Amino acid sequence: MHKKNQELPLPAQGGKKRGTSPAGQRGLSRDARENLQLYSILLPTAILIIVFMYAPMFGLVIGFQNYVPGASFFGKDVEWVGLKHFIDFVNSYYFKRIMRNTVILNLLNLVMGFWVPIVFALLLNEVRARGFKKFVQTASYLPYFISSVVVAGMVISFTGSDGIVSRLISALGGETAAWITKADAFPWIFTITRVWQSFGWSSILYLSTISSIDPGLYEAAEMDGANRFHKIWHVTIPHMLPLVVIQLILAIGSMLSVSSELILLLYNPSTRSTADVIGTYVYREGLLAGNFSSGTAAGLIVSLINLGLTVIANAFCRKFTDYALW
Amino acid sequence: MWILTEKMARRREDKRLERLEERAESRLAGQKKVTAFDIVLYAIMIAVCFLTIYPMYYVFLNSISEPLEVVRGNVTFWPRGLYLDSYKIVAHDSKLWRAYGNTILYAAGTTLLMLFTCVTMAYPLTQPRLKFRKLVVWFILIPMYIGGGMIPAFLVIYKLRMYDTIWAMILPSGVNIMNIILCRTFFLSIPQELSEAASIDGASHYRILGRVVLPLSKPVLAVISIYTLVGTWNSWFNALVYLPSERLHPLQMYLQRVVIAQTVDLTQMMTKEEMQQAVEKMLSSQQMQYSLIFFISAPIILVYPFFQKHFVKGVMLGSLKG
Repeated sequence: MHKKNQELPLPAQGGKKRGTSPAGQRGLSRDARENLQLYSILLPTAILIIVFMYAPMFGLVIGFQNYVPGASFFGKDVEWVGLKHFIDFVNSYYFKRIMRNTVILNLLNLVMGFWVPIVFALLLNEVRARGFKKFVQTASYLPYFISSVVVAGMVISFTGSDGIVSRLISALGGETAAWITKADAFPWIFTITRVWQSFGWSSILYLSTISSIDPGLYEAAEMDGANRFHKIWHVTIPHMLPLVVIQLILAIGSMLSVSSELILLLYNPSTRSTADVIGTYVYREGLLAGNFSSGTAAGLIVSLINLGLTVIANAFCRKFTDYALW
Repeated sequence: MWILTEKMARRREDKRLERLEERAESRLAGQKKVTAFDIVLYAIMIAVCFLTIYPMYYVFLNSISEPLEVVRGNVTFWPRGLYLDSYKIVAHDSKLWRAYGNTILYAAGTTLLMLFTCVTMAYPLTQPRLKFRKLVVWFILIPMYIGGGMIPAFLVIYKLRMYDTIWAMILPSGVNIMNIILCRTFFLSIPQELSEAASIDGASHYRILGRVVLPLSKPVLAVISIYTLVGTWNSWFNALVYLPSERLHPLQMYLQRVVIAQTVDLTQMMTKEEMQQAVEKMLSSQQMQYSLIFFISAPIILVYPFFQKHFVKGVMLGSLKG
């Protein structure tokens, strides 16, 4: 609770104090009054942000302690252990597995998924019948609106031993198996599911970029004798390129933040060797098993690596394009 | 008031132009001849539709078909027979209705809180007179990049005695930095002269926010509400971490227990006669799960086509750089 005192009244008090300095007596009191109003408007939300976003940040200190459930974060009898949990985690058998899985799952998603919304947007843009175009677009959003639990339920049932996908694979001459229980198949099942869920939604940005291109450019290209492919290649794609670059950099920046919710739903003990990522590990070995300190340490290491990647990606973004996150 | 009417008139004009354009375009399109590329294109698009729609359709088909055919795996494109008893059993499940009620409660609470937090945080940030604005901006930007993670968040909830209460479902999810930025971006597009005029008339910021800014902000409020509603409707992870009590579980958490964790057996909901009948019909728990999945997803599936334009608007607003 002391964090609240640290963070908040500072600007409010300061606002009043600073308000007295500029010239003009009437202007000053009005300035102070306005600031008082403005800060009183944002205060409740600021408190929520402090409690639910900043307080957990302070809670990270338990990664450096042997935290006993129920104790306070900064109590007297806290046993500080320095970097022990961090070192233990990095040296553990899990660290390598988690990093490998995270990188593989993200790379697969990038390679299999990144281009899909772009190509989809380009193709959809070529559809001339408006009603059909709308329909396809709406249909492509559908997976995005279905909850992860439902998606996972469908995937598990379809790829189970007598599921429709498994039957299709064996009908096409593949192995007859319960694919969802095979460790080798998990990265593919997960990636396909993720691409399926998001491609339509991700295409919105690309589609809107395409629709903002000046129609005059297409007309000019047509005058010069361009056919459809020429127009796509010489007009549409160059206009989309900046956005594509930004999206790519952003995707690389969030490389390690694989969505663990879907994995948590899809994986099972037999696929853990290829499915376990940091989120699932922290949930299972940290929260469920009650190892709060080591779980926090593990989560912190990965989010630090992630933050580093985001910063690097942003630096690239700033250097090579006009856009940057900050 | 005049702004609103002017806006409406403009929108109507836009619509009219759009329609004219559409007509001209379709006439043009009609003149062009269908090429091989078009055929391939349409084939691809139909395949895309199939891939996105079929899984849910398959679930639906299997939930209404004759159980014996479902077990045999014969149901692929058309329903075979008609058997709705699985829905009857699902609809009699009191736990399901309880979960339904919980979800509605959490969704409504979270959405209202979300609107409040977005508006009250975004408005001061648009005011040039706000002292230490930079500091406040940093204050809301930092949590976007750094977070405590799952366990510290859990411990905070636990210490606040919110563990296993509905507050754990509403309060933490009622603030979202992205939405605050979205809201701020929109507020900035409202002409500053309006609030300045009100300010000269002696209106306080409370008044300006309530009487000038909010009435003009319906589009962004709609976007945020719909984002939050759909998000809460589909969320389950917070319940997994914060709510051990089954009676508080939302819909998706209930579904997770039935379909993924399989800790609930729907066949136990049946009465003796129903059981007898079900066994005769070979109604499997698989089919009941399909019914439950469809039953729970139907509201969103039916409603999202009408909401999608708000979602799209949100994506566009968000991409305008916050």
